[in-house]
Amino acid sequence: MNNARRPALIALWWLALVALAALVQHRLVVSGDLRDFMPPPTNADQKLLLDEIGEGPASRLLLIAIGGASPQRLVALSGGLAQKLRVDAQFERVLNGDSDIASLDPALLPYRYLLSPTLDDHALDAAYLRDELQRRVEDLGSPAGDLVKDILPRDPTLEILKLAQRWTPRHAPSVRDGVWFSPRGEALLLAQTRAGAFDPSAQTAAIASLQTAFAALPGAGLAQLTISGPGYIGVQVGAATRSEAERLSAWGSAGFVVLVLLAYRSFGALALVALPLLSGALAGVAAIALIFGHVHGITLAFGFTLLGVAQEYPLRVFSHRRADADAHTSVREVWPLLRLAIVSACIAYLAFLASAVAGLQQLAVFTIAGLLVAGAATRWSLPALLPEKFRDVADFAWLEKLRAGIDRARRPRWLPWLLLALALAWMRLAPTPLWQNDLAALTPASPALLAREGELRAALGAPDVRYLLVLQAPTADGVLVLSERVSAQADKWISSHVVDDVELPSRWLPSAATQRARQAKLPDRATLSADLDKALADTDFQPGLFAPFLDDVERARSLPLLGPEEFARTPFGARLQAMLVQRDGHWLGLATLSGVHDAAALAADTGGDVRLLDLKAASESLVAQYRTRILIALGVALALLALSVAVAFRNLTRAWHVLAPMSLATLLAFAVLRAGGVSLSLFHLVALTLAAGLGLHYALFFERRTHDAAEGRRTLHATLVCVISALLVFGLLATSALPVLRAIGLTVALGVLFHFFLSIQMARPRD
Amino acid sequence: MRVLRKPLVMHGQLEYDGPGQLGKRVDAPYRETTKIADGAVEVLREGRAPRHFDLARAPELQALLTGFSALLGGDAATLQQFYTISLVENAAKWTLSLAPRKPAQHLRALVVDGAESEPRCFTVQQADGDSSTLLLGPLAEKALPQALTPAAVAAICAP
Repeated sequence: MNNARRPALIALWWLALVALAALVQHRLVVSGDLRDFMPPPTNADQKLLLDEIGEGPASRLLLIAIGGASPQRLVALSGGLAQKLRVDAQFERVLNGDSDIASLDPALLPYRYLLSPTLDDHALDAAYLRDELQRRVEDLGSPAGDLVKDILPRDPTLEILKLAQRWTPRHAPSVRDGVWFSPRGEALLLAQTRAGAFDPSAQTAAIASLQTAFAALPGAGLAQLTISGPGYIGVQVGAATRSEAERLSAWGSAGFVVLVLLAYRSFGALALVALPLLSGALAGVAAIALIFGHVHGITLAFGFTLLGVAQEYPLRVFSHRRADADAHTSVREVWPLLRLAIVSACIAYLAFLASAVAGLQQLAVFTIAGLLVAGAATRWSLPALLPEKFRDVADFAWLEKLRAGIDRARRPRWLPWLLLALALAWMRLAPTPLWQNDLAALTPASPALLAREGELRAALGAPDVRYLLVLQAPTADGVLVLSERVSAQADKWISSHVVDDVELPSRWLPSAATQRARQAKLPDRATLSADLDKALADTDFQPGLFAPFLDDVERARSLPLLGPEEFARTPFGARLQAMLVQRDGHWLGLATLSGVHDAAALAADTGGDVRLLDLKAASESLVAQYRTRILIALGVALALLALSVAVAFRNLTRAWHVLAPMSLATLLAFAVLRAGGVSLSLFHLVALTLAAGLGLHYALFFERRTHDAAEGRRTLHATLVCVISALLVFGLLATSALPVLRAIGLTVALGVLFHFFLSIQMARPRD
Repeated sequence: MRVLRKPLVMHGQLEYDGPGQLGKRVDAPYRETTKIADGAVEVLREGRAPRHFDLARAPELQALLTGFSALLGGDAATLQQFYTISLVENAAKWTLSLAPRKPAQHLRALVVDGAESEPRCFTVQQADGDSSTLLLGPLAEKALPQALTPAAVAAICAP
């Protein structure tokens, strides 16, 4: 290779990678929806969780507070923000307290007699009307007289106000000038996003447009906008995790640059060292884009972690260059072992491909494509670009001493067995549960964020995120019938403080039977007119004042009943629509609960067609199931790996000396984590797998018989560079305060240490 | 808009307990106590469950209360802020008219009639022509004329 052309080629390779990365970034849809990542649901709760409700309607609520300005300004800001968000397609509904009964279609007004429960307990007869009219006289004399006067002729029993009260959440915040206010004096709003809480990209977009809409309001600069809710917290935590990971990775990369410069004393090596890994990662992403079209964010993060083994390929090549051979010869000499590592890892990941879980299949495609391309780039592209001038690392004096020291060290054969016994004992003595099923526990929100969320949720009387009451019936009307039956029970729960409020679908729309029964109780015009006259006899109301009332009742007698579809077209319809869903030939009613104080009592009182759905439990059971699948896939992968190593060596003793240290080191890392009180999660499993992949390299290279001592020193050098770089990058992650980063960092760092020492300790004795 | 054939006459007591706090007790023809404090209205009626509502849900009432409070508390600045004030004096008698600056749906004006330093009548004139008058002090004790027309009431307040 011509010396002058080499830098140009390297630059070209870099450029191609950057261009490809830009292209892929445009093409690939990265989904944040947990459903893409999870295995298919197996029980009804999981199915409901994944197919119908995402993460529950309550979790899609953004809780908003506007403070720091005069009440008048806050009222204007609240109104302005609500108005803007209501025309934004990202939001399903926006409430700020002004949801006025006046927005009810006048044509629907006669329906009040079918929707309000008044007729269940009273007949519209002379006695009832007399009592009501007497109350209206008192109302007229009261400070609220003006309000009553307008609707009096049409609605002397004030059914409209009763409905308005029924449709107001029991614990709604207080209203000032038509806008909700918190006890702290902030204007409050509720915005329900269309996207699920754990779809970070959609939530980020929704929150950004909310903030933009607010900032554009006149006088917004003087006020203070606070957003909370599960979606917002998710976005915040995600951003914090990302920035922490980026910060630590930047330090790790800087350290790696210094390490490469120190280890090889060559800038040429630095320009080349990242190329195989980056090429592999891009190939992996491209493969997913081709085969699946979209990828889950977590799959991608796991994939990049697992692909970390490929960083070793160029390091091995650099360390194993010999003064007496050209680049191609050097590469050819280490290639058989690298090839064995790559091929056996790829075969192992085939086990993931065979699992029925889309997330795992994507992970397998990404990793296999990445490893193959990174390997091929190392084998066939790298040698042509290697600088001709280099230092043979075998000449380093410190390395010679170290190698001699290791060779002299005693390697008692009982030590691995002792470690195995210790590991097993530690695992038994571990103080914490083996598994952490709550993925959210790995990315916890700050106490301040959670406290603010709790405060706003209480002030707004917003529904609980975790629990949902699910009613099941063959038809939508059947759900409403069931809902009416449950409502008596719900009142008992509320009065015994099991729960603060239950919002049932029948609160909005009574069943057809109930509507029909109420309709049948409406008197005909002649009867009502006569009764009204009797009731009016001893009052001072103007004669003929209540003609509109007579008209409305007469109309209500012959109205077609109001079904969910018709109701959905009213201003209040969206609420009911969200509560009634059809699936698999039956209907479900989703009733939200506010302020759940005693979930056990709720669970005890429900069952059959009315179930208490614990969304947290359902999602945790999904995670547990997912982990089981990963564990099975990993078990099969390990077996495949052992088999391919044994087949390649055609020698069980040699295979044993590679596989035994690797397995024991993995077990030790696992045991130490457990002894330290760590409950394991998917992230730990992925990290252990990466460490095992690195350990395979160490064991393979230490197991190799070489003809001369210098080659042994080169092996040690390569392994040391690999170990130190892994410790650097993952050790930094382990210092993070964020559990998810610490989980990955600590596990890999521990694993790498154990793999390194055990692969030296348990290497095949020299002849 | 006329809802009733003849005016509703109530007897009772009005209590002013400082800005934003007002109590009204009706003794006849029925018994009722209304308390307004801290933006909340509580209506207590004999033999019925108490009713609460937010003052904010009744903006008209809020405007009225503001006017009342400012009048009774002698807070000219607040009055100026919400109402256009006009005063007609006739010897020792006077009539103060307060018209809301912001056009209100129901309220046309608040009229106070008085003599010397004593207010005698509070009249709330509504946009639809209805009005209600509060006769204070000695006037409350006097017998009302048989035909209780607005003109008759005006004659009582400003003879």
